[in-house]
This record gives sequence, structure tokens and C-alpha cells, in this order.
Amino acid sequence: MTILDACEWLQSTALATWVQESAYGFPIVVAVHLLGLIFSVGTLLWVDVRMLGLGLRELRVSEVYRGLAPWFLVGFVAMLASGATLFTAYATSAYSNAYFRIKLVALLLAGANALVFHFITQKQSAQWDDAPHPPLAVRTAGLASVILWATVILAGRMMSYTMFSGPSGP
Amino acid sequence: MQSLLHWLESTNLAISVAGSTMLTASLSAVHVIGFTLVVGGALVANLRGLGALFRKRNVDVVGPTNRAILVGLAISIATGVVLFSARATEVAENGTFRLKMLLLVLAVLIHFVFQAPEAKRVDAPRRVRTASAVSLTLWLGLAATACAFILLE
Repeated sequence: MTILDACEWLQSTALATWVQESAYGFPIVVAVHLLGLIFSVGTLLWVDVRMLGLGLRELRVSEVYRGLAPWFLVGFVAMLASGATLFTAYATSAYSNAYFRIKLVALLLAGANALVFHFITQKQSAQWDDAPHPPLAVRTAGLASVILWATVILAGRMMSYTMFSGPSGP
Repeated sequence: MQSLLHWLESTNLAISVAGSTMLTASLSAVHVIGFTLVVGGALVANLRGLGALFRKRNVDVVGPTNRAILVGLAISIATGVVLFSARATEVAENGTFRLKMLLLVLAVLIHFVFQAPEAKRVDAPRRVRTASAVSLTLWLGLAATACAFILLE
């Protein structure tokens, strides 16, 4: 079974049919996707700003992370669930869309960056948690996060214009 | 007003944007980036104002969000004006677009006029909490209306 076969199977599921055919299925799922994105990336950005030493310097890095985590995690769950739902309905055209591939790679890299930071860099957080300007490894992780999430948003919007005929879509 | 809209649509920039899906898509993508900056900053600022975030710290700890919101607004308004110019007469008649503009003006006014983060204290005064609640509602309403505008055309 190739990836394309899997995409075709996804498009034959009841969920895919609901998104394609119900009157409000598509706009509601896209709205959840966009709001989840703005909510999660908009708040996560402030963890990156603190890691870069650009703002919120009176707060510890861990304090900013812990304060914002519940908010951006809820946004991520909404964004991923709605994104996966949309993907079932348009799997084959998304699969062949260059912007979708860019978006997926950026998303995976953003996840890998977060995991490396969480499990490796943060192990020594006692040394820099309250530093106004954290060390290079922390700043690099923050900058990578900003660049990768901006890429996800840009590629996502480009994808919706190139996959559908009108200026709408996920 | 109508002649101004027609003039906007006849500018070279508007004609280029109207004729190019890639140009429209790129502008729209940057528009969303700016808006993410705005809503992210507004969420952090207003959640602190409401006492839902960083509650052990002074209210004005979220001061830097104002600059981010202004930068985001500049990006979104600049790209938004160009996108608008390409379809000015049609979009000006659109009810969702009008609501979006109304919410934008109200959100900016409430956020920047009634919520000056002068408070060097941990517990936000009632005025700040009320302004935060109203401001948060307006920003989220603006985000929802912006989604509706993209989707309901």
C-alpha cells in the first residue's frame, strides 16, 4: 500500500465525506484549525521571546513555559485534531501539494526542536533559568521555533490558495 | 466614498494583486503572521490582567506585549490595506468585513486606552480586570470574525 493508496482510503471514510458534503462541516473545522493555530503559536511565541532574551526578562524561563503551556497545549490539540480531520477529506490533493509538504516538514522539525530542548537543553536549566539573556543553545532553540512556526503558517496559507480554487480553505 | 474605493481598485498595486493568486496568497500569509502576533500578545496581556497567568508577578510584567501587538498590527494593516484595495468595492459592502473592522477599532481602543499597565502590584485593580475581560472578548471576537470572513465568501 503506497502513501497515495492510504490517502485515497482516508478520503473514502465517513469523516472525509462529512467534511466534504455537510453544509457547515468544512467552515467549522477550518475555523477551529485557524483559531487553534493563532491561539497556540501566538502564546508559544512568548516562550520563544523569553528564551531569546527579548522580553519578559523579569520572569524565569520555566515560569513563562509553565504559565503558558496549558494555553498553547489546548490550542495545539484543537489545531492538530482539526488539521487531521481536514486532511482526511483532501488527502490526495494535500499529498501532492508542495506547500503541504513544506508545512509538514516544518511541523516535524518544530516538534523535534521542542523535544530536544525539553529532554536535553532543559536538563541544565538551573544555570540559566533566571538569566535575562540565556546561553546560545537556548536562544538557538527559541529562534528555530519562531522560524519553523512562521514557516508552518506561511506554507499553510499558501497551501489553501493553491489547493482550492477560491481564497478559502485550511 | 464610492469614488475612493474605485480609485483604490484602479491603482497599479491593486490591479497586480487582483490578477495574481500567488501575490494574494503571499500577502494573506503575512497578514495571518501579523495577526498571530497581535492575538498572542493580547492573550498574554489580558490573561495576566485577569489573574489567569503569572499571578505572583506585578501586572506590568506583560508590558512588552504592547510593542508586539503594535508590530503585529502594522504588519496586518499594511498587508490588509493592499488585499482590500484589490477588491475594495465588493469587500466594503461585506457585512462580515464591516464587523471585523468595527471589532478591530474597539479592541485597539479598549486595549490601549483603558488598560495602561501602570500597576506595579500583584493584584490587578478592578478597572484593569474589567478592561482585560472586555479586551480579551473583543480580540477573540475579531479572530472569529476574521475566520468567518475568510470562509463565508
